[in-house]
Amino acid sequence: MRPAHPGSRRARGLSRRHFALALPSALLASGCAAPHRGTGRPGDPVVLTLLSHYASGELKRALQGPVDEWNATHDRVKVRTKAVEFTDLLTTFMVRQAAGQGADILHPYCLWNGQLVRAGVLRPAPPEHAEEIRRGYSPAAVGAASVGGRVYGYPTETQTYALYYNKRLLREAGLDGPPRTWRELEETAYRTARRDRYGNTLVQGFGLSTVDDSTTVGQTLALLSAAGGRFVSADGRSTAIDAPAGRAVFDLEHRLVAAGASDPGVNVYQAFPSGQVTMVISAGWWTGSLKPLMGRDYRDVGVAPVPLPDADGRRATLSTGFMLGVNTASEHPREAWEFLRWLNAGKVRVPGAGKGGSVTRMSALQVSVGSLTGRADDMRTLLGKGGAVGKGGAGGDPNLRPFLDALAYAVPEPNVPGAQQAKTLLRKNIEALWTGQQSAGEALRTIRRQVDQEVSRSW
Amino acid sequence: MVNALTPEAAERAAATPRSARPAVGARGRTRHRQAVVAYLFLAPALLFFAVFLILPLGFALVLSMSHWAGFRLGDIDPVGPDNFTGLFADGSTFLAPILTNTLLFALGTVALALAGSVIVATCIDRLRYQGLWRTLYFLPIVTTVVAVGNVWKYMYEPGGLVNGVLNAAGLGSVAFLQDPGTALPSVVVVQAWASAGSAILVLTAGLKSVPESYYEAAALDGAGPVTVFWRITLPLLRPSLLFVCVTQFLTGLQSFALIIVMTQGGPGDATNVAALEMYRQAFSYGDWGTASAAAFVLFVVVLLVTLVQLWIFRRKGEDA
Repeated sequence: MRPAHPGSRRARGLSRRHFALALPSALLASGCAAPHRGTGRPGDPVVLTLLSHYASGELKRALQGPVDEWNATHDRVKVRTKAVEFTDLLTTFMVRQAAGQGADILHPYCLWNGQLVRAGVLRPAPPEHAEEIRRGYSPAAVGAASVGGRVYGYPTETQTYALYYNKRLLREAGLDGPPRTWRELEETAYRTARRDRYGNTLVQGFGLSTVDDSTTVGQTLALLSAAGGRFVSADGRSTAIDAPAGRAVFDLEHRLVAAGASDPGVNVYQAFPSGQVTMVISAGWWTGSLKPLMGRDYRDVGVAPVPLPDADGRRATLSTGFMLGVNTASEHPREAWEFLRWLNAGKVRVPGAGKGGSVTRMSALQVSVGSLTGRADDMRTLLGKGGAVGKGGAGGDPNLRPFLDALAYAVPEPNVPGAQQAKTLLRKNIEALWTGQQSAGEALRTIRRQVDQEVSRSW
Repeated sequence: MVNALTPEAAERAAATPRSARPAVGARGRTRHRQAVVAYLFLAPALLFFAVFLILPLGFALVLSMSHWAGFRLGDIDPVGPDNFTGLFADGSTFLAPILTNTLLFALGTVALALAGSVIVATCIDRLRYQGLWRTLYFLPIVTTVVAVGNVWKYMYEPGGLVNGVLNAAGLGSVAFLQDPGTALPSVVVVQAWASAGSAILVLTAGLKSVPESYYEAAALDGAGPVTVFWRITLPLLRPSLLFVCVTQFLTGLQSFALIIVMTQGGPGDATNVAALEMYRQAFSYGDWGTASAAAFVLFVVVLLVTLVQLWIFRRKGEDA
């Protein structure tokens, strides 16, 4: 073997060493590098990041449309969307914020607002935006986007709760229409419930969901609102459920389970589309899922307002939602609010909506995916006679009407600091009630003790 | 002692004139250089442990005595032992049912998986195509927890396979995952089933190491299969059993993925365990202080349980 020239060996050795040094350095530099937020050179565009849970399918496409439109028409400020699944959204907010890489614009579930405000993540809306939000949205949507009376963002999708019912099962039981009072609800539930000889549920009269915190708590809080009760006091420092209204809701649910008209063991969200549940309380988004799932059988689905304890009672239900807010760590808050106003308050013409039919881009976006915003005027334009916006003609679905009407009287979900934990504690005690571990009184007292301890923490 | 100086050499070294001292200094420099090189070689491993073990451990310790919402490092607020006292305060659910559930879940899983895997491993040891059987029993290990959890969840449901079998036998349906009395045992069965594969693998290897001559001697003495199992197989399997017992218990104390898929800790707190509560406190409620305190409590529990297991097996003459 011919020995290599000393010079060439030296040269080769040096290059390897350089490579060995350069590779980790390059990796380190790229890993530690700040996220791309524009070049920072004068004249170059500002790049805003928007982090949402619109991670896949039509939601992602629906948001990307207006963002592309903004980018095409605005040279100075560009927007880049980032998305994660909803289940990872809060964690992603935390991790990115702690790492100094929080997005400029955040799209949180309003339940987390108290937690995010307490942690100093959300920037209050500037006065002109706050005024615009208060003026343009339903009280429930504004309440959900506010913490301690201050508005922190533009409400996006808003969900209200109503009673879904199966018309065919009601007809078979000789009933004309959905219940309007709790007494009628119970009678309907008992008349339509059926079980086989082994105790397996064939038809639930009234479905009670244990799928997750939101569905379990949502239906109970909708009934609580209808009874004039509240989960958390107005100042957000204590629970208010241990009161006659709370007691009435818990007694109602307990009676339904004990009598066999409800079976919390059955997944309501699978059983209802299969025609095995007569009635269930859920949010408006479900219509969008039921339609493709049930096909022709969707014609058997009806939606009515949440029944009231008494026929002459005042209507109320629960409302939940998301909002778009600006990160306190954003270097370009003014540009971020400018974009949010364009997306959420700037009106565009809607084809087929008749004369003067203009709505915000966000309203058009939400209705196109079968959801609603807290802008009642937009929703009427989009869901009215001429408004057939969105896939499958969401605008023509009469089942969306009760959710739209509920925008006027819905009560926002409490979003005080510790709201998520309070919600989970409520779910656990509701389940303990349904499974006979606790009586209604014990469950209410436990909730009061546990939730009071949580929401009263000042830190 | 290859490197030690012999007495003569030591005397010679002591008698070495001053002029020879530079040689000693050179040797010292060489050793120093070797030590530096050795540490340089160790540096990647040490850095790895520092970044992924020491640093998080230290951070968790700081957090366990602080309030932190998980967003800004500057907002860490020291509170002393408040988080620990909060975990055991009156009305807290951490000790009961959460920590109790954790121990029952781990204990039940180990007991079921160990008993099942000893029986299966002993059977496999007497069968043909042992590789095939081992592979079949190992399959749950390579299946994702989400898939395993969901399949079993459907099987447990009121109209599912298990209730179908009960109904076919003329029995009424059981709300396995919805009844607080049956939810935890039902999840324990699935965890044991899912983790038995690795135990079977270890135990079949342990069975192979038992000398055949023992069984031949027992057969000559007229010992029956039960006596052989209790007097020969089981005692000689003790090292493998210790390994399986310790590792399964550790896994059981820390796992929550199956529970989150099947019951989410419910109904109520019937299947809530410490690891799931820690996860919720940190990532859902933004209470990293309580989560870290719970993690340290769980660490102490795991340590104590492991020490007790090792002590029991050592008393019986086995070493980990």
